Amino acid sequence: MNGQYASLLIALPLISAFFVPLIKGLGRKVVMAYLVLITALQTAIAGWVANEVYSTGKPIIVMAGGWKPPVGINLYIGHFAALFVLIIAVISFFMAFFSFKAVTVEPVDKYAMLFLLLMLGATGMIVTGDIFNLFVFMEITSITAYALTAYNKTGEAAEASMKYIVLGGIGSSFFLIGVALIYGATGTLNMAHLAQLAGAIDPTVAQVGLALIIFGLAVEAELFPLNAWAPDAYQAAPHPITVMFSALVVKAGLYAIARLLYILQNANGWSGVLKLVIIMATLTVVVAEFSALRQKDVKRMIAYSSISQVGMIAFALALGTQAGVDAGVFHMVNHAIVKALLFLTVGYVGVALGGTAIENFRGLGKRMPLTALTLTIGSLAAVGIPLFNIFWSKVRILLAGVEAGYSWSVALILGASVVEAVYYLRLIHTMWFVEGGERVRENFVIGVIALFLAALIIAIGVYPNDIWTIVQKAGQDVFNVANYIKNVPLMGVGA
Amino acid sequence: MISVYYFGAIALVLVGLYGVLVKKNLMKILISLSIMETGVNLLLISIGYVSGKSAPILSEGVKWNQAVDPIPQALVLTAIVIGVATTAMALSAAILIYEKYGTLNVEEIRRLRG
Repeated sequence: MNGQYASLLIALPLISAFFVPLIKGLGRKVVMAYLVLITALQTAIAGWVANEVYSTGKPIIVMAGGWKPPVGINLYIGHFAALFVLIIAVISFFMAFFSFKAVTVEPVDKYAMLFLLLMLGATGMIVTGDIFNLFVFMEITSITAYALTAYNKTGEAAEASMKYIVLGGIGSSFFLIGVALIYGATGTLNMAHLAQLAGAIDPTVAQVGLALIIFGLAVEAELFPLNAWAPDAYQAAPHPITVMFSALVVKAGLYAIARLLYILQNANGWSGVLKLVIIMATLTVVVAEFSALRQKDVKRMIAYSSISQVGMIAFALALGTQAGVDAGVFHMVNHAIVKALLFLTVGYVGVALGGTAIENFRGLGKRMPLTALTLTIGSLAAVGIPLFNIFWSKVRILLAGVEAGYSWSVALILGASVVEAVYYLRLIHTMWFVEGGERVRENFVIGVIALFLAALIIAIGVYPNDIWTIVQKAGQDVFNVANYIKNVPLMGVGA
Repeated sequence: MISVYYFGAIALVLVGLYGVLVKKNLMKILISLSIMETGVNLLLISIGYVSGKSAPILSEGVKWNQAVDPIPQALVLTAIVIGVATTAMALSAAILIYEKYGTLNVEEIRRLRG
């Protein structure tokens, strides 16, 4: 089949979102079933694209309107994008099922529409090959994220959403200033073309522009000084949306940071920006881990844990070595799976028992055995215990960090991981060794999804090599910019 | 000598940033956010300005090489719409906050903590 069909990854959720208002009269069940159907279709397309990219070993370049880049916008679906588009689609598919149970507040049609647009935005951020198009997709993602955070219409939800809007607004303005500076210096917005011209940019402009862009993206990617919105939004948003935030939105932001960093690696003053990201990432890990330690609300605790993992990914992606980027991508995959499982089970407890405060988790092992079991597996994996998937990616990140000469940073991250073990073990202890409550009947579909994710965690933990080869290809896609330029058929302009 | 357009645009961004950081009233913060977005849009437009050229519309008497850079104008058109959408979203959240909290002072809107 023609590779241009891969543009359906963007087109399908967009057109389906427009059809939601037409079917909203048919009732809540129909809208939710529609959501499941569309995400299933998206998964099928993403699966086909991933299969195509990994079997031919060549990226799919979609040219919008048939204009060759850098005149037209191109989508670049390489090994990285193919892998993450698939992860995004699968997680959205699972969350569509979870939404049946978890979203009881009306109006459900707006929820479905925003859900699809959030998936669209995250997919777009990952596949695009144009820096301004990246901004547009980032805004689609963040505006839908603002709206979904406030979806429950409580005071807390509005407050969390407002924090996110103000920070996100500042971030997107900074990003746009950065784009303006880079455009003013090079006259192009296409990433491949930018990579070619990167060496010729004035070092001050390159440094300021790149730093502003990183600051703008760091709001989405939850790096330290700009992540104050995240725990609030995670706590106040509907449970399936929390999963979407930690599994897709953050990943898209992190990827965009990594992509733009390596695109401009020939620019003078580049290594200074790398150091900035390393410092921000290390601070993210330390601050988030210590904040998680004193949380009473389990969802908020896991939100902080998610932020700390994100810091670790950013650290790995900014090391500037192939090993670091590979490890970072590996951790992105693992973190998406583990955090999806954790937020799913915690959210399900919140739906079934009415709240995610730690008191509700007393005796969960007897009350909801399946949920408690999968939550335990997820927690152990998040701590990074051997035989679970995060162990391997954490080890690789730390080794890559030492190799790149950032021992101080590695030491801080390792110290923070000890803290992580403390609060997860406290949660596990509350679930299994504290008495409380009656038995609650568990939902079959959610149990199956949770078991599937748990099985995936253990499968990757026991056989890490299969996924590691996939991840290495994806890492090369981000790191090897010369190859990236070669793959995009640039029209002979400028350069 | 720095161009007055660049200076003005960056000054607007800084004014907006100052307002966001210092003001206590939520509406003033949102106004500052809008000012900041305006500044960014003006900066984008002034980057595309070529001294002495006319608007990039092909019409009689104006040749293709006599136009200013059309790309930033497309970018700004998009950015303006995005800015308006963000502002609308923020205002509806502000209405909700006023209903639930009875105040727009950011120091009193503090139910989420930890």
